[in-house]
Amino acid sequence: MKIEQKSWRDPVLIAAVAPLALVMLVFFLVPLVMTAVLTFQTTQYYRLVWTWDLKIWTEVFSKPHYWTIMGRTMVMALICVVLCVLIAFPAAYALATRLKSYSTAIQILIIFAFLTDAVLKTFGWILVLDKNGVANWLLAHLGFPAEALNLLFSPAGTMIGMVYNLVVYPMFTIYLSLVRIDRDLLLAAYDAGASRVRAFFEVTLPLARPGLYSGAILVFVLSLGAFLEPRVLGGGTAPLASELIRQSFETRVNWPLGAALTLVLILIGALTLALVGVIALRNPFGKRRAAA
Amino acid sequence: MRTTRVKDMVLDTALVGSVVLLLVFFYVPIVTLVAFSFTSSRVLTLPIEGFSFAWYGELFRKPDFLPAVANSAIVAAVSTVFATVFGTAGALAWIRYRFRLQSLFRAVTFAPLLFPQLLLGVVMLLWFSVLGNWLGFSTGLVTVVIGHIVYITPFALVIVAVQVHGFDETLEDAARDAGASGWEVFREVTFPLLWPGIFSAATFSFLLSWGNFYISYSLSGTARTLPVFVYSGIAVGSSPIYPALATLNFIPALLLVALAEYMRRRALKRQAAAGS
Repeated sequence: MKIEQKSWRDPVLIAAVAPLALVMLVFFLVPLVMTAVLTFQTTQYYRLVWTWDLKIWTEVFSKPHYWTIMGRTMVMALICVVLCVLIAFPAAYALATRLKSYSTAIQILIIFAFLTDAVLKTFGWILVLDKNGVANWLLAHLGFPAEALNLLFSPAGTMIGMVYNLVVYPMFTIYLSLVRIDRDLLLAAYDAGASRVRAFFEVTLPLARPGLYSGAILVFVLSLGAFLEPRVLGGGTAPLASELIRQSFETRVNWPLGAALTLVLILIGALTLALVGVIALRNPFGKRRAAA
Repeated sequence: MRTTRVKDMVLDTALVGSVVLLLVFFYVPIVTLVAFSFTSSRVLTLPIEGFSFAWYGELFRKPDFLPAVANSAIVAAVSTVFATVFGTAGALAWIRYRFRLQSLFRAVTFAPLLFPQLLLGVVMLLWFSVLGNWLGFSTGLVTVVIGHIVYITPFALVIVAVQVHGFDETLEDAARDAGASGWEVFREVTFPLLWPGIFSAATFSFLLSWGNFYISYSLSGTARTLPVFVYSGIAVGSSPIYPALATLNFIPALLLVALAEYMRRRALKRQAAAGS
């Protein structure tokens, strides 16, 4: 592939880069700054008052209620990461090594499922998980007691929805790092006398690490903002951070508070991202650059 | 020797089984919705008592969802055009060009992918509300479109970038040697070669926008897109018209995804064959 060095005076580069950069600047970076600025303002009679005040941050840090929910959100996100990776890895491995001739068809099916309307799919899960729903009907026909599962409107229901909506990400990141592995490396390991198990743990797994890390971090960060799942499938039994944010906007009409809670979540995500980045870079096999 | 073979078979079965289970997991709610759309009963429980198109009829007898469909279509069409154009230009800049501040450009154009949609929506809502206060506008379809462009462009960019990565530039050189201008090379060589990736990115963008709930929910103000309409419906209670609505939603999408992916993969394979 040819790579062209471009100067910022080149109109081709400006045409390719400037519009997108401008959109991201005005509608993504500036809003982030504005969110931070708003946390130092206050409200009076549901209206924003421009002051510079630490009132909101004092409130955020003095109410343990917020932090209980933030903590729960992080625990749910961690469980979601573990489940997603455990489900995604074998499937991605099978897709990369066993099902090559069907892999296009399977990937199309997965992409389609991922791209369809999340609200409708969540509604579908209600019909499945309901006490009189499809899952219990099937289980009853398999000889389980009636209403064996009672998952709807519980944290387990929330978790099923979260895994359902996010498992695609690690599935594809792991698959992409697995298909890039040079088969000669495995053959060399076998020649050197490694068993298949050993070759898997010493060649395949380290080389799959970029995919594992990036998939896991995507799931973690994205599940911090889960809203449909706890609301529709969890039935509000164990509210997550998204519910706090929704309440501060819709019920309390307190923008600075909503902005502060949003910023806290963004910072949690960014810190985790940085932490995983540091860990991944320290490990010679985890280095993204080395593989590219 | 025999034990390893048995072990291999067990392993193969387990691995293939994990893919099958994953597909079942993905399609459980989708198949459930499609099945219930043909029920004749009002209660959405198994066993399905009778087959009928009654709920499709009901859906069109009270077409209060049609304005939402129109809104969704407008938003998705406009967002797709912008996201695909930005994504294509961005992918070329990501992969083929080297310029000052490129890593910053990459970070900023990739970052929305790492944002939970809810937070992205909230952050933009705050900005549009402040801006609206100053300039005297309120959120509506235009802000939804902007939100979708910010969210979807990174997806389009990544998809086109894969195509740019496997690109055979000797054809461009040949066209240039034959006397084509820069624009002609793009129109006659670069664009047709990238087209499968661009088409795929456009399909992806359209469906991501069409099915988007979070950003539309934050930014639509009083206007409603289809997912927001369905959300406010199921928040009140489940109704037998939603499975029918869902089924009508799924079928064209499935065909479009299959077509786009088929085209893109065939082209990538051809590029790989030409490159080696």
